[in-house]
Amino acid sequence: MGLRDVLFGRKKLKDPARERLFAISTARITLESELDLKPAGAAGVCFKSLSAGEFVRAENELQQLLDAVASESGSKVERHTDEMGFEWFVVRDGDFEDLVTTVHLIANELQDRGFGPQLLAALFPFEGKFKEGRVYWIYGFKRGAFWPFVPTGTDQERDNAEELELKAKLEQELPIEQDLTRWFGLFNAPL
Amino acid sequence: MILTSGLLGLLYVAFGLVLLQFVGVGLVPMLLIIVALAFFQYYTSDKLALAAAGAKVVSREEAPQLHDMVERLCAMADLPKPKVAIMDTPVPNAFATGRSPKHAAVCVTTGLWERLEPKEVEGVLAHELSHIANRDVLVMTVASFFAMLAALLTRFGLYAGMFGGFGGGNRDSNNNSVPIWLIVIVVSFVTYILSWVLIRTISRYREYSADRGSALITGAPEYLMSALQKISSQITLIPQRDLREVEGMNAFFIIPARVKEGVNELFMDHPPLEKRLAALERIAREMGRPVS
Repeated sequence: MGLRDVLFGRKKLKDPARERLFAISTARITLESELDLKPAGAAGVCFKSLSAGEFVRAENELQQLLDAVASESGSKVERHTDEMGFEWFVVRDGDFEDLVTTVHLIANELQDRGFGPQLLAALFPFEGKFKEGRVYWIYGFKRGAFWPFVPTGTDQERDNAEELELKAKLEQELPIEQDLTRWFGLFNAPL
Repeated sequence: MILTSGLLGLLYVAFGLVLLQFVGVGLVPMLLIIVALAFFQYYTSDKLALAAAGAKVVSREEAPQLHDMVERLCAMADLPKPKVAIMDTPVPNAFATGRSPKHAAVCVTTGLWERLEPKEVEGVLAHELSHIANRDVLVMTVASFFAMLAALLTRFGLYAGMFGGFGGGNRDSNNNSVPIWLIVIVVSFVTYILSWVLIRTISRYREYSADRGSALITGAPEYLMSALQKISSQITLIPQRDLREVEGMNAFFIIPARVKEGVNELFMDHPPLEKRLAALERIAREMGRPVS
Protein backbone atom coordinates (compact mmCIF):
# COMPACT_ATOMS: atom_id res chain seq x y z
CA MET A 1 0.00 0.00 0.00
CA GLY A 2 1.57 3.25 -1.11
CA LEU A 3 1.62 6.55 0.73
CA ARG A 4 -1.14 7.85 -1.51
CA ASP A 5 -3.42 4.96 -0.56
CA VAL A 6 -2.71 5.56 3.11
CA LEU A 7 -3.52 9.25 2.78
CA PHE A 8 -6.76 8.62 0.98
CA GLY A 9 -7.70 5.56 3.01
CA ARG A 10 -7.82 3.30 0.01
CA LYS A 11 -6.90 0.01 1.55
CA LYS A 12 -7.02 -2.77 -0.99
CA LEU A 13 -7.25 -6.42 -0.23
CA LYS A 14 -3.79 -7.79 -0.48
CA ASP A 15 -2.84 -9.94 -3.44
CA PRO A 16 -1.32 -13.30 -2.65
CA ALA A 17 2.35 -13.30 -1.68
CA ARG A 18 4.98 -15.04 -3.77
CA GLU A 19 4.19 -18.68 -4.10
CA ARG A 20 6.00 -20.88 -1.62
CA LEU A 21 3.48 -23.65 -1.64
CA PHE A 22 5.77 -26.34 -3.00
CA ALA A 23 7.91 -26.40 0.14
CA ILE A 24 5.30 -28.74 1.63
CA SER A 25 6.17 -31.54 -0.80
CA THR A 26 9.72 -31.81 0.56
CA ALA A 27 8.62 -31.26 4.16
CA ARG A 28 6.40 -34.29 3.78
CA ILE A 29 9.43 -36.57 3.99
CA THR A 30 10.48 -35.17 7.36
CA LEU A 31 6.93 -35.35 8.59
CA GLU A 32 6.78 -39.01 7.72
CA SER A 33 10.24 -40.11 8.85
CA GLU A 34 10.50 -38.10 12.06
CA LEU A 35 6.93 -37.61 13.19
CA ASP A 36 5.17 -40.59 11.62
CA LEU A 37 2.71 -38.33 9.90
CA LYS A 38 1.36 -39.37 6.51
CA PRO A 39 -0.60 -37.22 4.06
CA ALA A 40 -4.30 -37.91 4.38
CA GLY A 41 -4.78 -38.07 0.59
CA ALA A 42 -6.69 -34.82 0.37
CA ALA A 43 -6.17 -31.10 0.44
CA GLY A 44 -8.39 -28.05 0.36
CA VAL A 45 -8.30 -24.56 -1.05
CA CYS A 46 -10.48 -22.10 0.82
CA PHE A 47 -11.66 -18.80 -0.59
CA LYS A 48 -14.16 -16.18 0.33
CA SER A 49 -17.63 -16.33 -1.14
CA LEU A 50 -18.56 -13.48 -3.39
CA SER A 51 -21.07 -10.69 -3.29
CA ALA A 52 -24.42 -11.40 -4.94
CA GLY A 53 -23.70 -9.09 -7.87
CA GLU A 54 -20.71 -11.07 -8.96
CA PHE A 55 -22.33 -14.37 -8.28
CA VAL A 56 -23.47 -15.36 -11.74
CA ARG A 57 -20.20 -14.47 -13.38
CA ALA A 58 -18.30 -16.24 -10.61
CA GLU A 59 -20.44 -19.34 -10.89
CA ASN A 60 -19.57 -19.69 -14.59
CA GLU A 61 -15.91 -18.93 -14.03
CA LEU A 62 -15.61 -21.47 -11.26
CA GLN A 63 -17.29 -24.19 -13.29
CA GLN A 64 -14.85 -23.50 -16.14
CA LEU A 65 -12.01 -23.60 -13.67
CA LEU A 66 -13.14 -26.94 -12.34
CA ASP A 67 -13.26 -28.37 -15.87
CA ALA A 68 -9.85 -26.93 -16.71
CA VAL A 69 -8.30 -28.46 -13.61
CA ALA A 70 -9.99 -31.79 -14.20
CA SER A 71 -8.59 -32.01 -17.72
CA GLU A 72 -5.08 -31.00 -16.66
CA SER A 73 -4.58 -33.19 -13.63
CA GLY A 74 -5.51 -36.66 -12.60
CA SER A 75 -6.77 -35.57 -9.18
CA LYS A 76 -10.41 -35.61 -8.17
CA VAL A 77 -11.71 -32.14 -7.38
CA GLU A 78 -14.97 -31.29 -5.60
CA ARG A 79 -16.60 -28.04 -4.65
CA HIS A 80 -18.10 -27.33 -1.24
CA THR A 81 -19.59 -24.43 0.63
CA ASP A 82 -18.93 -24.59 4.37
CA GLU A 83 -21.22 -23.45 7.19
CA MET A 84 -19.41 -20.13 7.39
CA GLY A 85 -20.25 -19.40 3.76
CA PHE A 86 -16.76 -19.92 2.42
CA GLU A 87 -16.09 -21.83 -0.79
CA TRP A 88 -13.77 -24.83 -0.89
CA PHE A 89 -12.11 -26.84 -3.60
CA VAL A 90 -11.34 -30.24 -2.16
CA VAL A 91 -8.67 -32.21 -4.01
CA ARG A 92 -8.28 -35.95 -3.58
CA ASP A 93 -5.19 -37.74 -4.80
CA GLY A 94 -3.14 -40.60 -3.37
CA ASP A 95 0.09 -39.08 -4.64
CA PHE A 96 1.17 -36.13 -2.53
CA GLU A 97 3.19 -34.42 -5.26
CA ASP A 98 0.16 -34.46 -7.57
CA LEU A 99 -1.98 -33.18 -4.73
CA VAL A 100 0.26 -30.16 -4.19
CA THR A 101 0.49 -29.52 -7.93
CA THR A 102 -3.28 -29.53 -8.26
CA VAL A 103 -3.66 -27.17 -5.29
CA HIS A 104 -1.14 -24.89 -6.96
CA LEU A 105 -3.05 -25.11 -10.22
CA ILE A 106 -6.33 -24.20 -8.57
CA ALA A 107 -4.74 -21.24 -6.80
CA ASN A 108 -3.24 -20.07 -10.09
CA GLU A 109 -6.50 -20.43 -11.97
CA LEU A 110 -8.34 -18.49 -9.26
CA GLN A 111 -5.79 -15.71 -9.50
CA ASP A 112 -5.96 -15.63 -13.29
CA ARG A 113 -9.71 -15.21 -13.10
CA GLY A 114 -9.42 -12.32 -10.68
CA PHE A 115 -10.21 -14.16 -7.46
CA GLY A 116 -6.67 -13.68 -6.05
CA PRO A 117 -7.60 -11.29 -3.25
CA GLN A 118 -10.33 -13.67 -2.08
CA LEU A 119 -7.95 -16.60 -1.85
CA LEU A 120 -7.61 -17.45 1.84
CA ALA A 121 -5.67 -20.60 2.54
CA ALA A 122 -4.73 -24.09 1.49
CA LEU A 123 -5.16 -26.89 3.98
CA PHE A 124 -3.07 -30.08 4.08
CA PRO A 125 -4.22 -32.74 6.52
CA PHE A 126 -1.82 -35.40 7.84
CA GLU A 127 -2.61 -38.55 9.76
CA GLY A 128 -0.51 -40.26 12.39
CA LYS A 129 -0.18 -43.97 12.91
CA PHE A 130 -0.27 -43.74 16.68
CA LYS A 131 -2.58 -40.83 17.25
CA GLU A 132 -6.18 -39.98 16.76
CA GLY A 133 -7.25 -36.93 14.87
CA ARG A 134 -5.44 -35.06 12.17
CA VAL A 135 -2.58 -32.63 12.06
CA TYR A 136 -2.95 -29.83 9.55
CA TRP A 137 -0.58 -27.51 7.77
CA ILE A 138 -2.29 -24.33 6.67
CA TYR A 139 -0.76 -22.29 3.86
CA GLY A 140 -1.81 -18.66 3.99
CA PHE A 141 -1.69 -17.31 0.44
CA LYS A 142 -1.53 -13.71 1.60
CA ARG A 143 1.38 -14.36 3.91
CA GLY A 144 3.11 -16.89 1.71
CA ALA A 145 3.82 -19.03 4.76
CA PHE A 146 2.73 -22.20 6.50
CA TRP A 147 1.58 -22.75 10.04
CA PRO A 148 0.57 -25.89 11.91
CA PHE A 149 -2.94 -26.47 13.18
CA VAL A 150 -3.85 -29.33 15.51
CA PRO A 151 -7.50 -29.26 16.62
CA THR A 152 -8.25 -31.49 19.58
CA GLY A 153 -11.74 -32.28 18.33
CA THR A 154 -13.65 -30.63 21.15
CA ASP A 155 -15.08 -27.20 20.39
CA GLN A 156 -12.52 -24.77 19.06
CA GLU A 157 -9.64 -26.15 21.08
CA ARG A 158 -6.24 -26.85 19.66
CA ASP A 159 -3.10 -28.55 20.88
CA ASN A 160 -0.73 -25.58 21.01
CA ALA A 161 2.13 -27.63 22.44
CA GLU A 162 2.13 -29.99 19.49
CA GLU A 163 1.84 -27.08 17.08
CA LEU A 164 4.96 -25.49 18.51
CA GLU A 165 6.74 -28.83 18.29
CA LEU A 166 5.80 -29.10 14.62
CA LYS A 167 7.13 -25.60 14.07
CA ALA A 168 10.44 -26.49 15.74
CA LYS A 169 10.80 -29.69 13.73
CA LEU A 170 10.11 -28.16 10.33
CA GLU A 171 11.63 -24.73 10.75
CA GLN A 172 14.46 -25.61 8.38
CA GLU A 173 12.31 -26.84 5.52
CA LEU A 174 9.09 -24.86 5.51
CA PRO A 175 8.57 -21.12 5.32
CA ILE A 176 6.76 -20.96 8.65
CA GLU A 177 4.74 -17.95 9.74
CA GLN A 178 6.88 -16.37 12.47
CA ASP A 179 4.15 -14.15 13.85
CA LEU A 180 2.30 -16.61 16.07
CA THR A 181 -0.63 -14.25 16.47
CA ARG A 182 -1.53 -15.03 12.86
CA TRP A 183 -1.81 -18.77 13.34
CA PHE A 184 -5.57 -18.77 12.92
CA GLY A 185 -7.22 -22.17 12.71
CA LEU A 186 -9.64 -23.62 10.19
CA PHE A 187 -12.10 -25.64 12.22
CA ASN A 188 -14.48 -28.16 10.68
CA ALA A 189 -13.08 -27.96 7.16
CA PRO A 190 -15.06 -30.03 4.64
CA LEU A 191 -12.17 -32.40 3.87
CA MET B 1 13.51 -0.91 22.98
CA ILE B 2 17.01 0.31 23.79
CA LEU B 3 17.14 2.00 20.42
CA THR B 4 13.73 3.59 20.89
CA SER B 5 14.58 4.93 24.31
CA GLY B 6 17.93 6.15 23.07
CA LEU B 7 16.27 7.95 20.20
CA LEU B 8 13.71 9.40 22.56
CA GLY B 9 16.55 10.68 24.68
CA LEU B 10 18.21 12.19 21.65
CA LEU B 11 14.97 13.86 20.68
CA TYR B 12 14.58 15.22 24.18
CA VAL B 13 18.11 16.64 24.14
CA ALA B 14 17.56 18.18 20.73
CA PHE B 15 14.29 19.71 21.92
CA GLY B 16 16.02 21.23 24.94
CA LEU B 17 18.85 22.59 22.83
CA VAL B 18 16.50 24.19 20.36
CA LEU B 19 14.54 25.83 23.15
CA LEU B 20 17.75 27.04 24.72
CA GLN B 21 19.63 28.13 21.66
CA PHE B 22 17.10 29.60 19.33
CA VAL B 23 14.08 30.51 21.37
CA GLY B 24 16.36 31.87 24.07
CA VAL B 25 14.50 30.34 27.01
CA GLY B 26 16.43 30.83 30.24
CA LEU B 27 17.21 28.30 32.96
CA VAL B 28 14.24 29.17 35.17
CA PRO B 29 11.51 28.94 32.47
CA MET B 30 13.19 25.78 31.27
CA LEU B 31 12.96 24.24 34.74
CA LEU B 32 9.35 25.37 34.98
CA ILE B 33 8.53 23.63 31.72
CA ILE B 34 10.14 20.42 32.95
CA VAL B 35 8.32 20.59 36.29
CA ALA B 36 5.03 21.29 34.51
CA LEU B 37 5.57 18.34 32.21
CA ALA B 38 6.36 16.06 35.15
CA PHE B 39 3.23 17.22 36.99
CA PHE B 40 1.09 16.80 33.93
CA GLN B 41 2.39 13.27 33.51
CA TYR B 42 1.82 12.56 37.19
CA TYR B 43 -1.68 13.95 37.44
CA THR B 44 -3.02 12.48 34.25
CA SER B 45 -1.16 9.18 34.52
CA ASP B 46 -4.29 7.06 34.99
CA LYS B 47 -6.20 8.50 32.05
CA LEU B 48 -3.11 8.90 29.91
CA ALA B 49 -1.99 5.31 30.29
CA LEU B 50 -5.47 3.90 29.72
CA ALA B 51 -6.01 6.04 26.64
CA ALA B 52 -2.58 5.23 25.25
CA ALA B 53 -3.25 1.52 25.63
CA GLY B 54 -6.73 1.78 24.13
CA ALA B 55 -8.28 0.35 27.30
CA LYS B 56 -11.90 0.88 28.27
CA VAL B 57 -13.13 1.38 31.82
CA VAL B 58 -15.84 -1.18 32.52
CA SER B 59 -18.74 -0.99 34.95
CA ARG B 60 -19.76 -3.69 37.38
CA GLU B 61 -22.54 -4.82 35.02
CA GLU B 62 -20.13 -5.29 32.14
CA ALA B 63 -17.62 -7.40 34.03
CA PRO B 64 -19.08 -8.59 37.33
CA GLN B 65 -16.54 -11.36 37.97
CA LEU B 66 -13.59 -9.06 37.40
CA HIS B 67 -15.09 -6.44 39.71
CA ASP B 68 -15.73 -9.06 42.40
CA MET B 69 -12.16 -10.22 42.16
CA VAL B 70 -10.71 -6.71 42.40
CA GLU B 71 -12.97 -5.92 45.37
CA ARG B 72 -11.91 -9.04 47.25
CA LEU B 73 -8.24 -8.30 46.68
CA CYS B 74 -8.64 -4.64 47.66
CA ALA B 75 -10.28 -5.71 50.90
CA MET B 76 -7.30 -7.96 51.59
CA ALA B 77 -4.79 -5.27 50.69
CA ASP B 78 -6.70 -2.50 52.49
CA LEU B 79 -6.90 -0.35 49.37
CA PRO B 80 -9.70 1.77 47.93
CA LYS B 81 -11.14 0.11 44.83
CA PRO B 82 -9.46 1.37 41.65
CA LYS B 83 -11.15 1.86 38.31
CA VAL B 84 -11.34 -1.40 36.41
CA ALA B 85 -10.51 -1.40 32.71
CA ILE B 86 -10.37 -3.99 29.97
CA MET B 87 -8.26 -3.88 26.87
CA ASP B 88 -9.40 -5.92 23.89
CA THR B 89 -6.32 -7.79 22.74
CA PRO B 90 -5.50 -11.50 22.68
CA VAL B 91 -2.07 -10.90 24.24
CA PRO B 92 -2.35 -11.68 27.96
CA ASN B 93 -1.17 -8.73 30.00
CA ALA B 94 -2.15 -6.36 32.78
CA PHE B 95 -1.06 -3.02 34.13
CA ALA B 96 -1.87 -0.55 36.88
CA THR B 97 -1.65 3.21 36.77
CA GLY B 98 -2.68 6.30 38.70
CA ARG B 99 -0.97 8.85 40.93
CA SER B 100 -2.38 7.60 44.22
CA PRO B 101 -4.45 4.69 45.46
CA LYS B 102 -7.51 6.95 45.28
CA HIS B 103 -6.89 7.83 41.63
CA ALA B 104 -5.81 4.48 40.33
CA ALA B 105 -6.87 2.08 37.62
CA VAL B 106 -6.09 -1.56 36.89
CA CYS B 107 -6.38 -2.92 33.42
CA VAL B 108 -6.39 -6.50 32.17
CA THR B 109 -6.47 -7.65 28.57
CA THR B 110 -9.18 -9.95 27.27
CA GLY B 111 -6.39 -12.39 26.45
CA LEU B 112 -5.34 -12.57 30.11
CA TRP B 113 -8.92 -13.13 31.23
CA GLU B 114 -9.51 -15.91 28.70
CA ARG B 115 -6.21 -17.77 28.92
CA LEU B 116 -5.58 -17.79 32.66
CA GLU B 117 -7.34 -19.64 35.43
CA PRO B 118 -9.25 -17.36 37.86
CA LYS B 119 -6.64 -18.02 40.58
CA GLU B 120 -3.89 -16.95 38.22
CA VAL B 121 -5.73 -13.78 37.21
CA GLU B 122 -6.04 -13.06 40.93
CA GLY B 123 -2.26 -13.36 41.32
CA VAL B 124 -1.68 -10.94 38.45
CA LEU B 125 -4.29 -8.48 39.75
CA ALA B 126 -2.74 -8.62 43.22
CA HIS B 127 0.62 -7.81 41.63
CA GLU B 128 -0.89 -4.75 39.95
CA LEU B 129 -2.67 -3.69 43.16
CA SER B 130 0.68 -3.90 44.95
CA HIS B 131 2.05 -1.42 42.43
CA ILE B 132 -0.77 0.91 43.41
CA ALA B 133 -0.21 0.32 47.13
CA ASN B 134 3.54 0.93 46.72
CA ARG B 135 2.78 4.16 44.86
CA ASP B 136 4.97 3.14 42.00
CA VAL B 137 3.72 5.80 39.61
CA LEU B 138 4.85 8.45 42.10
CA VAL B 139 8.21 6.74 42.57
CA MET B 140 8.82 6.42 38.85
CA THR B 141 7.71 9.97 38.12
CA VAL B 142 10.11 11.28 40.76
CA ALA B 143 12.87 9.03 39.46
CA SER B 144 12.43 10.13 35.88
CA PHE B 145 12.07 13.75 36.96
CA PHE B 146 15.55 13.64 38.47
CA ALA B 147 16.84 11.99 35.34
CA MET B 148 15.41 14.83 33.27
CA LEU B 149 16.84 17.37 35.68
CA ALA B 150 20.27 15.73 35.58
CA ALA B 151 20.36 15.86 31.81
CA LEU B 152 19.21 19.46 31.80
CA LEU B 153 21.75 20.62 34.39
CA THR B 154 24.62 18.95 32.56
CA ARG B 155 23.69 20.88 29.51
CA PHE B 156 23.42 24.14 31.37
CA GLY B 157 26.69 23.48 33.16
CA LEU B 158 28.49 22.98 29.87
CA TYR B 159 26.74 25.90 28.30
CA ALA B 160 27.63 28.18 31.14
CA GLY B 161 31.22 26.93 31.13
CA MET B 162 31.66 27.65 27.45
CA PHE B 163 30.06 31.05 27.31
CA GLY B 164 30.42 32.25 30.87
CA GLY B 165 26.78 32.79 31.79
CA PHE B 166 23.25 31.61 31.39
CA GLY B 167 22.09 34.59 29.36
CA GLY B 168 21.76 34.97 25.63
CA GLY B 169 23.78 37.20 23.31
CA ASN B 170 26.74 34.89 23.01
CA ARG B 171 26.94 34.62 19.29
CA ASP B 172 29.97 36.90 18.84
CA SER B 173 32.95 34.58 18.43
CA ASN B 174 31.81 31.13 17.57
CA ASN B 175 34.19 29.80 14.92
CA ASN B 176 34.47 26.64 16.99
CA SER B 177 30.79 26.29 17.79
CA VAL B 178 30.36 22.97 16.05
CA PRO B 179 32.60 20.91 18.42
CA ILE B 180 30.94 22.58 21.42
CA TRP B 181 27.56 21.53 20.16
CA LEU B 182 28.90 18.07 19.74
CA ILE B 183 30.28 17.90 23.29
CA VAL B 184 27.03 19.25 24.70
CA ILE B 185 25.04 16.65 22.89
CA VAL B 186 27.34 13.76 23.79
CA VAL B 187 27.55 14.63 27.49
CA SER B 188 23.80 15.18 27.80
CA PHE B 189 23.13 11.98 26.01
CA VAL B 190 25.46 9.98 28.25
CA THR B 191 23.84 11.52 31.30
CA TYR B 192 20.47 10.61 29.97
CA ILE B 193 21.49 7.01 29.26
CA LEU B 194 22.91 6.66 32.76
CA SER B 195 19.73 7.93 34.39
CA TRP B 196 17.77 5.65 32.14
CA VAL B 197 19.73 2.64 33.41
CA LEU B 198 19.10 3.81 36.96
CA ILE B 199 15.39 4.12 36.30
CA ARG B 200 15.30 0.61 34.93
CA THR B 201 17.08 -0.67 38.00
CA ILE B 202 14.57 1.01 40.27
CA SER B 203 11.75 -0.29 38.10
CA ARG B 204 13.02 -3.83 38.39
CA TYR B 205 13.25 -3.56 42.14
CA ARG B 206 9.64 -2.34 42.24
CA GLU B 207 8.61 -5.39 40.23
CA TYR B 208 10.10 -7.74 42.81
CA SER B 209 8.28 -5.80 45.54
CA ALA B 210 5.00 -6.10 43.66
CA ASP B 211 5.54 -9.85 43.21
CA ARG B 212 6.13 -10.15 46.95
CA GLY B 213 3.05 -8.01 47.59
CA SER B 214 0.96 -10.27 45.39
CA ALA B 215 2.18 -13.30 47.31
CA LEU B 216 1.20 -11.68 50.60
CA ILE B 217 -2.24 -10.54 49.39
CA THR B 218 -3.29 -13.83 47.82
CA GLY B 219 -1.29 -16.04 50.17
CA ALA B 220 -0.59 -18.28 47.20
CA PRO B 221 2.46 -17.26 45.15
CA GLU B 222 2.28 -20.44 43.09
CA TYR B 223 -0.60 -19.04 41.05
CA LEU B 224 1.32 -15.90 40.16
CA MET B 225 4.20 -18.16 39.19
CA SER B 226 2.11 -20.23 36.83
CA ALA B 227 0.48 -17.06 35.47
CA LEU B 228 3.90 -15.58 34.70
CA GLN B 229 4.97 -18.76 32.97
CA LYS B 230 1.82 -18.83 30.88
CA ILE B 231 2.02 -15.16 29.96
CA SER B 232 5.61 -15.38 28.83
CA SER B 233 5.27 -18.61 26.89
CA GLN B 234 4.75 -18.49 23.15
CA ILE B 235 1.59 -20.56 23.42
CA THR B 236 -0.53 -17.61 24.47
CA LEU B 237 0.28 -15.87 21.19
CA ILE B 238 -1.47 -18.51 19.10
CA PRO B 239 -4.99 -17.29 18.39
CA GLN B 240 -8.04 -19.36 19.26
CA ARG B 241 -10.20 -17.98 16.51
CA ASP B 242 -10.88 -19.24 13.04
CA LEU B 243 -9.18 -17.75 10.00
CA ARG B 244 -12.53 -17.26 8.30
CA GLU B 245 -13.86 -15.23 11.23
CA VAL B 246 -11.03 -12.74 11.17
CA GLU B 247 -10.52 -12.46 7.42
CA GLY B 248 -10.93 -8.85 6.38
CA MET B 249 -11.74 -7.68 9.88
CA ASN B 250 -8.54 -5.69 10.32
CA ALA B 251 -9.90 -3.10 7.93
CA PHE B 252 -12.57 -2.19 10.47
CA PHE B 253 -10.29 -1.80 13.47
CA ILE B 254 -9.75 1.81 14.38
CA ILE B 255 -6.43 0.98 15.95
CA PRO B 256 -4.49 -1.44 13.75
CA ALA B 257 -3.64 -4.84 15.11
CA ARG B 258 0.01 -3.86 15.36
CA VAL B 259 -0.73 -2.13 18.67
CA LYS B 260 -0.12 -5.40 20.44
CA GLU B 261 3.59 -5.09 19.84
CA GLY B 262 3.44 -2.04 22.08
CA VAL B 263 1.73 -4.07 24.75
CA ASN B 264 4.59 -6.51 24.82
CA GLU B 265 6.87 -3.65 25.68
CA LEU B 266 5.10 -3.16 28.98
CA PHE B 267 7.08 -6.17 30.02
CA MET B 268 10.43 -4.79 28.97
CA ASP B 269 11.17 -3.04 32.24
CA HIS B 270 10.59 -6.22 34.15
CA PRO B 271 13.28 -8.53 35.48
CA PRO B 272 13.87 -11.78 33.63
CA LEU B 273 11.26 -14.42 34.24
CA GLU B 274 13.64 -16.96 35.82
CA LYS B 275 14.74 -14.49 38.48
CA ARG B 276 11.20 -13.52 39.29
CA LEU B 277 10.18 -17.16 39.55
CA ALA B 278 13.16 -17.92 41.79
CA ALA B 279 12.27 -14.99 44.06
CA LEU B 280 8.65 -16.11 44.22
CA GLU B 281 9.75 -19.64 44.98
CA ARG B 282 11.72 -18.41 48.00
CA ILE B 283 8.67 -16.49 49.21
CA ALA B 284 6.51 -19.56 48.68
CA ARG B 285 8.89 -21.61 50.78
CA GLU B 286 8.89 -19.02 53.56
CA MET B 287 5.10 -19.12 53.53
CA GLY B 288 5.10 -22.92 53.56
CA ARG B 289 3.28 -23.17 50.23
CA PRO B 290 3.65 -26.07 47.81
CA VAL B 291 6.33 -25.42 45.18
CA SER B 292 6.25 -27.44 42.00
